[in-house]
Amino acid sequence: MTAGFSWFSKTMWIASTLRRKLVDQPLEDQLRFETFLSEQTAAFSRVLAADVDREIKQSLRRIVDFLKVDWGSLAEFSPDSQTAQITHAWVAEGAAPAPSAVRLAGLPWVVARLREGEVVRFSRVEELPEEKAALDRRTYLGLGIKSQVDVPLKVAGRVVGALAFSTLRAERAWQDELVQRLQLLGEVFANVLSRGRTELEMQRLRQELSHVARVSTVGELTTSLAHELNQPLTAILSNAQAAQRLLAAMPADLEEVQEILKDIVEDDKRASEVIHRLRGLLKPGEVEFRALDVNEMVSEVARLVSGDAVMRKVSIRLELVPGLPPVRGDRVQLQQVVLNLVLNALDAIQESGTRDRTLLLRTTLESSAAIRVAVRDSGVGIGGVEPDQIFRAFYTTKPEGLGMGLAIARSIVESHAGRLEARNNSDGGATFSFTLPISDEEP
Amino acid sequence: MSPPPGALVSIVDDEPSVRKSLARLVKAAGYEVEAFASAHEFLARLQPEDPCCLLLDVQMPGLTGLELQEALAAAGHRVSIVFISGHGNIAGSVKAMKGGAVDFLTKPVTDRELLGAVERAVTKALQMRQDQARAREIHSRIKSLTPREAQVFALVVTGRLNKQIAFDLGIGEKTVKAHRGRVMAKMRAGSVAELVRLADQGGVIAAKS
Repeated sequence: MTAGFSWFSKTMWIASTLRRKLVDQPLEDQLRFETFLSEQTAAFSRVLAADVDREIKQSLRRIVDFLKVDWGSLAEFSPDSQTAQITHAWVAEGAAPAPSAVRLAGLPWVVARLREGEVVRFSRVEELPEEKAALDRRTYLGLGIKSQVDVPLKVAGRVVGALAFSTLRAERAWQDELVQRLQLLGEVFANVLSRGRTELEMQRLRQELSHVARVSTVGELTTSLAHELNQPLTAILSNAQAAQRLLAAMPADLEEVQEILKDIVEDDKRASEVIHRLRGLLKPGEVEFRALDVNEMVSEVARLVSGDAVMRKVSIRLELVPGLPPVRGDRVQLQQVVLNLVLNALDAIQESGTRDRTLLLRTTLESSAAIRVAVRDSGVGIGGVEPDQIFRAFYTTKPEGLGMGLAIARSIVESHAGRLEARNNSDGGATFSFTLPISDEEP
Repeated sequence: MSPPPGALVSIVDDEPSVRKSLARLVKAAGYEVEAFASAHEFLARLQPEDPCCLLLDVQMPGLTGLELQEALAAAGHRVSIVFISGHGNIAGSVKAMKGGAVDFLTKPVTDRELLGAVERAVTKALQMRQDQARAREIHSRIKSLTPREAQVFALVVTGRLNKQIAFDLGIGEKTVKAHRGRVMAKMRAGSVAELVRLADQGGVIAAKS
């Protein structure tokens, strides 16, 4: 502060600062915001379609916290231009909840500016033009908004919505530098949203296709599943009839009967698990990305095919590294991938007529960021074609094959940000393996 | 019918809960039971005294039930086998029955089916054992015959008369009579008919004339 700076002007300066709150972010904060934005941009380029909503919301939360504002929201104009749907919002602690939609008729001036691609900002509602924006002013007052910045969201040259930050409890200035940065963020969001929409559509198609593939896979497994249900049913019947005999004897061995009843309950649970797993595979459910334990997922598939393996005289070996971190993904889809690879491996072993009839299911820590799942067989191997060719749709070596299994498996793995690869083993047979990124959530 | 005392039933099934429940049921019916998780485990602990009945799962990792049946037959073990299969398999059941199985049951199996089959298997095994013991006894009697007596024995049971035997062997009829008397005594046979039955039970193939 210079010596000539009067006490009065100094006081006024402090007062106005307090009234307007945070006119100037310290340089350090600005730098932090800059870093944060570039991190966001990078993060969004990697984000999976299924995670877009979550990521956008997280991002809004961080900005709301950082700018110390009350609402951060992403609004999308409805196709009939009647309303702006708030698709994503974050509300600061203690602030009133944000509306789920706003009528566009109540904001004619602001919407017109946004449609032109302009940013609208006001630190007080009174800064909006008194006459032209009279309706807009009333709408904002009605919503309890004291200050706001609106950044238009452009997708393929058209404004489809806006990114808005609002304060309810204090007025706030929006400096040019901040607005420029928010415009950048708006571009990132718009990009992610449009990409996300395409991907969701792709995902829906993939989901339908993979459901069809799953149903046919389960068809292949019918004998094996019947066998798996038959085992607990056999045990239940024999146990129950043994108990009847024990109870008819004098004196009845009640302790043994107790044990029998316990086993019956266990076997019943096993039978329902088989049905449960089957239902899980047959259900054309929504894709659900969540943290999951790869070892558990792989073991479940191994159980599912165990009957089939016994019938084909193939022994399945599991080499699962214990304590692997969780991955993020859809359990049913990933199981379908493993199931498909395992059934292929069983076919390959069958075809080769080799003496060594083993199938190895292995999980390993690929790096600090990924887990690898491998299915290794002692079968015929991949002959005469480029390994990559087998992943193409309609490529098949089986008389009844559709040639979709591996194509679907690869697209599922890729939608999980992983890679599916195939190679021949040096000592015969082939190994199919894929990576999955590690999740930071708990399963 | 209560099972013969000490009749041993062996169970081979890779599925622990099935193995345990079958063992309980068979035990509750009064049999001695031992259970094995695999064909190899069963072979490794096979005693000189075979079990009366083997309850055998068809599909198992490693050696299958049918392969174990073959292995047992090849090693000269006569075990009455009751197969239990996860699903009806015609080719498998035909093979099993041709290999001398007592029955081929499909899971899930009721106590009546199971214990009925076990009972038949045990009866068959005990009968077989009796026959074997008898054959061994007859063999030891045959072994006590001199070479000449054995020749006379073989010819008598084909129905040759003393005169014909004397001619066949180039000896006197009186000598044949003397040999024949010693054969009857050593074989502990009261009549020619009984001698023929002993020859039959002892598995002696009648010599051609």
